[in-house]
Formats: sequence, C-alpha cells, structure tokens
Amino acid sequence: MLFNSAAFLIFFPVVTTAYFLLPHRFRWVLLLAASCYFYMAFIPKYILILVVTITVDYFAGLGLETFEGRKKRWVLIASILTNVGMLAFFKYFNFANENLAALADFIGWNYPIQTLSILLPIGLSFHTFQSLSYTIEVYRGHQKAERHFGYLALYVMYYPQLVAGPIERPQNILHQLHEEHHFEYSRVTDGLKWMAWGMFKKVVIADRMVQFVSPVYGDPTSYNGPALVLATLAFAVQIYCDFSGYSDIALGAAQVMGVKLMKNFDHPYFARSISEFWRRWHISLSTWFRDYVYIPLGGNRVSQPRWAFNIFLTFLISGLWHGANWTFILWGALHGFYFILFALTESFWQKLSSITRFDQLPRLKSGLALLTTFSLVTFAWIFFRAESLGDALYIARHLPSGWRSYLAQSWDILMQGINGAADAGLYSIVDALFRTLTPVTDESRVVIVLTALALLILVVIEILQHRGNLLEQLDQKPVILRRVVYASLLAAILILGTSYASVQQAFIYFQF
Amino acid sequence: MPAQVRLFFISLLQVILLTAVMVGLVFMSIPPDPNHYFAGSLIQLELLKNTPSPRIILIGGSNVSFGLDAELMQRKLSIPVINDGLHAGLGIVPLRELEEYLRPGDVVIISLEYQVFSSRDVMEGDLTFLSDWIEYAPGRIKYLSDPWRDIPAIYLTMLQRKVNRQVNTVLYGGSLNEVRDVFVGTRYNSNGDFIGHLKQASTPPRKISFEPYPVSSVQPDIFTFLEQFHQFARQKGAAVYFEAPASRRINCENTGEASLTNFFKTFEDRSAIPVLTQLEDLCLPDKYFFDTAYHLNAEGRRLRTERLIEKWLQLTASQ
Repeated sequence: MLFNSAAFLIFFPVVTTAYFLLPHRFRWVLLLAASCYFYMAFIPKYILILVVTITVDYFAGLGLETFEGRKKRWVLIASILTNVGMLAFFKYFNFANENLAALADFIGWNYPIQTLSILLPIGLSFHTFQSLSYTIEVYRGHQKAERHFGYLALYVMYYPQLVAGPIERPQNILHQLHEEHHFEYSRVTDGLKWMAWGMFKKVVIADRMVQFVSPVYGDPTSYNGPALVLATLAFAVQIYCDFSGYSDIALGAAQVMGVKLMKNFDHPYFARSISEFWRRWHISLSTWFRDYVYIPLGGNRVSQPRWAFNIFLTFLISGLWHGANWTFILWGALHGFYFILFALTESFWQKLSSITRFDQLPRLKSGLALLTTFSLVTFAWIFFRAESLGDALYIARHLPSGWRSYLAQSWDILMQGINGAADAGLYSIVDALFRTLTPVTDESRVVIVLTALALLILVVIEILQHRGNLLEQLDQKPVILRRVVYASLLAAILILGTSYASVQQAFIYFQF
Repeated sequence: MPAQVRLFFISLLQVILLTAVMVGLVFMSIPPDPNHYFAGSLIQLELLKNTPSPRIILIGGSNVSFGLDAELMQRKLSIPVINDGLHAGLGIVPLRELEEYLRPGDVVIISLEYQVFSSRDVMEGDLTFLSDWIEYAPGRIKYLSDPWRDIPAIYLTMLQRKVNRQVNTVLYGGSLNEVRDVFVGTRYNSNGDFIGHLKQASTPPRKISFEPYPVSSVQPDIFTFLEQFHQFARQKGAAVYFEAPASRRINCENTGEASLTNFFKTFEDRSAIPVLTQLEDLCLPDKYFFDTAYHLNAEGRRLRTERLIEKWLQLTASQ
C-alpha cells in the first residue's frame, strides 16, 4: 500500500482509531495484522519471505542467549546466511548470473544457467537489514532476545517503516512496541503535521519533478548539457523530497501511535562536506553500515590505506544494497572516492584557506563548501538515476555540451524580451527560456511556475527547520493562525499535488 | 470522551473545514472555460436532448468531430444529424450518456478509435479527459463505470486543472497560440461538428505520430459493451452501425494490412453491429489529414462523409 494512495487514507485512521480503542494487550495483534495487510497490498505471497526471516531470527535470538562460544557464533552465522541468502536470491541472483554469463561469453565458455523470472519483493533490503540488526545486537549483548514471537514479528513488520525504513535497531523500537501509549494530543497532532509535510514533499514536489527527469533520463542521447543538468538537478530535488517525504510520513504515523522512530534525514543538502552529507542523508542506513560493516572491518583504528579500503568497501556495499546494477555500484564507489578525497585533503584545504585568509570569510567559505558538496552529490545522482551504465556515462560526458548555443539563444530571447518583442513580459521570457530546454506545452509551462512556487515553500521551510524547531515555534502562535497554516498545507497538497487521475508514483526507495 | 480526544477532534474538524472552505472557494471561483475544446460537448448535449427523432447520431472520438460532416449528411438525407464525437480519451463513456437520450427511430453510427479496443482502461476513459468533460455537465459522473470510486480523483483532477488553467490565463493570457487557434470550444456548428480546423493552413500544429494502430490485441470487454449497447438501442427502437475511424495511409501501412483485416474480421465475429466501412476505402492518403492519425481536413471530411452516406443508403436499402 502506498502512503499517497486513497487506500491509505482509509487504512491509517481505521487502524489508529482501533489502536487507541483496543486494550493494550491486543494492540500488537492489531498492528501485526495491519502490517501484514499493508505489505500484502503489494504482492501477497511475498509475506512468506518475512515469515521465514522472522521465524529464523526468533529462534536465532533465543539460541544466541542460550549458547556461548563457537555455538553462539554459528547461530549468528545461520541467521546472517538466511537473511543475506534471501536478499542474494531475490535481489542479486539475476544480476550475478547475467554478469557471469557475459564473462563466460567473453572467454568463449558455455554458460547454461538461465535468468530467473523473479519480482523483487517490496522493501526487501530494508526489512532484511532491520531483522539482521536484531540478531547482531542480541549476539553483541546489547539487546535481550525477544520471547514473544508476535512482538518480534511486529518489530520487523511495523507498517510505517516496513517497506522503506528508517531501518531501526531493536534497542530503540522493541521496548516502545511493548509499552502502552495513551492518546496524547500534542504527540498525535505533531505526528499528523509530519505526515502532512511528508505528503507535501512527495506529491507536490517530488512527483512534479518526475516531469523534468523522466523524459531526459529515459532518452538521454536526445538532449545536451543544459537539459541534462536541469534533469539532474531536478532529480536531486526529487529523490530528497521523495525519500525524506516517505520518512516524514513514516515517523509521523509511528508518532501518532506513540512510537518514536529514528530521524532519517537532517537537511542533507545543507552539508558542507561528504562526511557531513552522510551524517544527514538516510541516517538509519549509514549508521547501519557504520556499525555492522565499517567498524567490524576495523573502522579508522587501522593504517591509512586500510582505512581508505574500509571506507571504499563500505560505500561499494552500500551502492550494491541500493540495487543490483553497475550504476548503483558506481554511485557507491563515487561517494567512497569523494569521502576519502575529502578526508585526505582536509588539512591541505585548511592550510590553503588560512594562507589565503579565506577562513576570515566564514560565510563565503561555508557557502562554497555547501555548493561543492551539493554539486558532487548531484553529479553522483546521475549514476543512481540512469537506466544503464552507458546512459550514465553519456550524461556525465555531455554535461558540458551545448551551453554555447543555449546561452546564445537565451541571450537573444532576453534581449527580445527587454526590447519589448516578447508580448507577455517576464513570463514569456521565462517560458521561452524553458522552451529551449524542453518541449513546452500549456501544462508544462504552468508546471514550471507551480514547481517554482512549491520549491520556494520547500526552501523556506527547510531553512526555518534548520534554524530551529519549526513546530515548536508555530505552537507559540495564535490558534487561528496555526489552523490557517495547517489548512493551507492540506489545501496545497490537494491543489498543487500532481494529477490524482494518473497512477500514483511509487516512492523511489520502495524498489530497494 | 477524554478531554484530549475531544480537543483533537475539534481541532481536526476545524482544520478540515478550513481546508474545505479554501479548496471550495478556489473550485467555485474558476468557471469552466468556454474556449476549451470540450465546451462543444454542451452544444452536442443540447442537440441530443432537443433534436426530434428520427435522427442520425454520429458518435466516437475526435475522428468523428473532426472527420464527419453532420451538416452535409443532414442536407443530403433530409433528416436531422447530430455529431456527438469528441475525444478518444473519453472511451465509451459518451455512449452511456447517449443511451439516456436514445429514442425510437434513431440511427447511431459509432466510430471508436482503435485504441479504445486495445485495453479496458482506455475503453473506460482517461480520468483527466473525463474530469474535463464532466466539468461542463456534472451529472455526467453517473456514466463512469464506478462513479463512487472515481469521484475523488475526478474532482481533485478537475480542481487542479482549473488552477492550472487560471495560472495560465493570469501569467500568459491564455493557452499557447497553436492550441488557441485550432482547438476552441466555440468552433462547433449547429450540428455539433467541430469546424475549428477547416480553414486552417495545411501545416499541422502538432507532431504527428506514424505509430501503427493498436489493432493486434483487441480486448473482449469492448464487444460485450457494444453488444449490450446494441441490444439496448434495439429495445428502444433505434438502429446501430459501426464505421471505422478515418485512418491515415502511412499508419495503415505501419499497422499492416493483415492486422487491419483481422481487426474487422474479429469485429464481425464478435458483434452483430453492421459495419459500414469498406476495407478498400479504409485508409486515406496523407493529403486528406489535418493532424494526428485520425483528424481529417475539410477535403478528407467531405470524402469520408459522402462515402458514409452512400454506404449507409446501400445498407438500409438492402435491409
């Protein structure tokens, strides 16, 4: 079930009302049943994967508390193998098989294994990692094994974060699921506000951006630099609003029921370095990789070359986690490269800024760092979004092309506009400028204006949130003003949301 | 009820009411656009309601509105003829509207575009086009296959399209020139024919697709519907015929003769509705087309109409 579907508009209030009406001892049953229904709205039979994972990890958890030494280690390995095995089969089998077939073909071998017709279960990477974190934490002694099968199932399947995270740790969420939560006005309304804001980001901004991204990324060879840059920038906005929008809805929905999920985004495009970006982007995944991959590899308590290897490998795995495609692996590798380069050259940049007295202009320095980080991250998104490695390389290579003619054309349009040749003033100039980038129809030129308006709202709210707790600030305003603000947000979702007649755009991270 | 819960519901109600007022005001303040191509559907609806029977009603998508001349037919046959063609994106929904106004002695000539036969979704109409169509006559919502399911999507889409239209008008003074010059809702004649394109230059305003017509996979639901419509019309004392849409030769060639022949064979096998089109006359040269794979120009429209009259007279004479 999609958060941005009519079905969820019924599902959420029904489940939440039933949750508060039921005695505490029955609530886990309700939430588990609701979570099963939520998941089975996609492909029902894939619930069996969750049943197997949860059953194995339930007994693994008990075993990890019972056994010691080598036996305990074997129990953990069995759990990891089951979880990773599921992931490997459903997500990576065909990718590995196709690459082996290509390799066999290259060296002239006969390769008989056929590609399987498997549909990737929704959110497989998310719930597999969440389940894995349970057994690892029990193994490490940070979490007691859950003896109630239902609660463990709910930990893995809790519907707000089941299909796209945040990837939770058992220490944070299991005890919250056991606790009794009463209806609390401020908590419930804050949760709903988060959900509305997340929905705004998704349906008003992210889904609008699709119109600028999909045509170009679907056929990149038909476009040159300016259009490729515009589409890539639009994708940077799309993926942020899509994924952080999902996370806001998930956090809000859980908060309504008294469960506080971990923060998944912290204004990542305000980051001033790649390491800071990863402390702000998809926090639940980056901390997962930090705790369960990077640190076990030795983290930074090793030699510098080994540290660089650890970082690079972690980012490579992170890339592969996102999707079974070389584009994702390259995206991860690019971030690993950025990360290492930033770290290794940090002292050089500091010295340079000290020598040039650039550090006496902190705002400019900070702005430049922000712009550099954003540009690097956006460049890497090309590999994340492109449909093939060939497309990604084409886009990356052609970003600088076509600017001379575009600028010349734009200059002519601007001059015509200034000299009064354009009949409808500023808008017709803007319209004409866009016309050189993308075919403009009645709909799309309105989309451009409304998108600009929506982006302005996003940027203002992001800045306000970055400076302090916006909800707390708003709570101090008069009631009528607050009501108008929240009603305006809902009205904006209804009026500016992308067409409700078209098929709802699934959240991008559902595919992972 | 605990105080916190009561407070919550009061706050929620206030926000919902305020949202409804805001959205309602926006909705009510933007009237239907009299220049929209679909505004012509009101002329057609009035004709369906008020033209005395017996009469001929031509119905289908824009291949009918652009490519058949009801005025010429009326002159030649001396009976009232109504052009009730509008847009292929409405699927078969206008046929459900027509059922309400059918009377004894009426003759219905259906000319549905090939894509309506290709999938159930297209057959039931695109919600965006349907929302535009319903904006001119809200009662039309009842003709959808599942009105209750579609009401929210239809009205939200209508709201957004109203806002888009208003933004377009405020910022740019209206639609893009090429659209403004041709697809105008006031350019229908008193028989419901669309005439906005007749005096236009031969340069088409839109990129023409030469894709094959989607005739190779015909879905069975369309025949179930057509047969039900046929039976309903017969019970009311009306006759029904099928006329293939105007087809561009290059699209026909890309589709393949065998596929087109097979389409008509399937039609005749699965439906008792007599077909007026002769296969040898089906595909017309490019010079008879205005734009798209279905829109005829003035010359093409006249040729197609005359052939239709001739074929219909032959068929009725033999019956």
